[in-house]
Amino acid sequence: MTELVSAVSPERDVPSAQAPGILTFIVADVIIFGVLFVAFMMERSAQLALFDRSAAALNASFGLFNTLILITSGLFVVLAVDAARHGRTAATRGWLLASLAVGAGFGVTKLIEYGDKLGHGITMLSNDFFMFYFVLTGVHFLHFLAGMIVLALLWFRAGREPVDGPLFGWIESGALYWHMVDLLWIVIFPMLYLLGTR
Amino acid sequence: MNPAVSNASYFKYWRFCAAMGPVFLTAFIICWGMLGYNIPPIPADFTADQLAQHFRTHANEVRAGMVGAMLFGVLYLPWTLSITKVMEKIETDGNHMMSILQMWGGGVTVVPLVTSSVFWLTGAYRPDDLPPFILQMLYDMGWLLIDLFYAITTIAMVAVGVCGLTDKRAKPLFPRWLCWYNIWAGLSFLFELLMPFFKSGLFARQGWLNFWVEFLVWFIYILLTTLYVFKAIPRLEQERTAQLATARQ
Repeated sequence: MTELVSAVSPERDVPSAQAPGILTFIVADVIIFGVLFVAFMMERSAQLALFDRSAAALNASFGLFNTLILITSGLFVVLAVDAARHGRTAATRGWLLASLAVGAGFGVTKLIEYGDKLGHGITMLSNDFFMFYFVLTGVHFLHFLAGMIVLALLWFRAGREPVDGPLFGWIESGALYWHMVDLLWIVIFPMLYLLGTR
Repeated sequence: MNPAVSNASYFKYWRFCAAMGPVFLTAFIICWGMLGYNIPPIPADFTADQLAQHFRTHANEVRAGMVGAMLFGVLYLPWTLSITKVMEKIETDGNHMMSILQMWGGGVTVVPLVTSSVFWLTGAYRPDDLPPFILQMLYDMGWLLIDLFYAITTIAMVAVGVCGLTDKRAKPLFPRWLCWYNIWAGLSFLFELLMPFFKSGLFARQGWLNFWVEFLVWFIYILLTTLYVFKAIPRLEQERTAQLATARQ
């Protein structure tokens, strides 16, 4: 049966790239985050003093460090895509691993930061600013974890199949997703950590 | 593949089951949403007395709505099965893991749809005899169940997406963008995890994110997936005809 299907399916072919498909996911995700950002700004304008006072309680150094981590990790992913495009398996895997290693720093910093806030009795229910803080950074953190898993899977698969074959579409899609994680943080960082703290 | 079985027999009921998706959706919006006063939900920050007043004023509409929701809610099952049948034609390697996951995920989705309706129906059954806090509890239970049992629906939606992305056809049965939409839509339900922590604002059960966005996202998933199941069936019929012709040679 399987052989028969494989032999006679006239449309069967290897897809050239996955990238356009994942853009649906990315656009939908960015829209949701965008609406959350608007909601934050509207709530902020209604409770300006509270939001400014709460933002001052965040450690901007952690936020800046995490921004640098994600931008660096994003750069390594770009280099991985470039290496994959030219069929260089070792380089692709090396850059993916470097991106993973650097990216892991974001998780460590974030967990330290969450531990610090919870240790001081600050939770999602403390006030509206911290509701947005925990929700925005929490949902972003879930995206980050998913991205780390994707990068690890790509690294694993790159060791077992040609990186410039069908896998290339997945590497490109994974890179686009990782850039979205990066992009979202670039908005979240100034909005939560810097706005109104001076 | 049994060549003695015609396409008419082989694909019998597929379109009928696929059509149950829009039928379910229409009936659910009318019964559960409009008659049952769940579109939009009664706000979570209403007092028990306000909620009791709602049940006592609209008891018969809520009864009719919930009876309808329980009746038509089960149509999600045949609709799910139509998707499963198409997915089986994508998983041609004999590994039907995603198809089966989708079938179970979609099938079990009927449970929160029907069970939550029972809670609202119980509140509307004898609202004059029940104290306001019990009515409030029943209404809360209904919403907590339907919103927080989302993960079973997420499994089905993600399974459709993952399976569709593995389709090796040059023109996949489920387009890539739809597969990614389904994966995103299923995962976006994670916001419902925040619902029990808030009684007002965007994450509350009546909030624009956890109600308006999430339910709209789910309704769009139903309509888009139905559309592409209907588009897939004639293509699968043509594929089977070609396979039978090849087998005869």
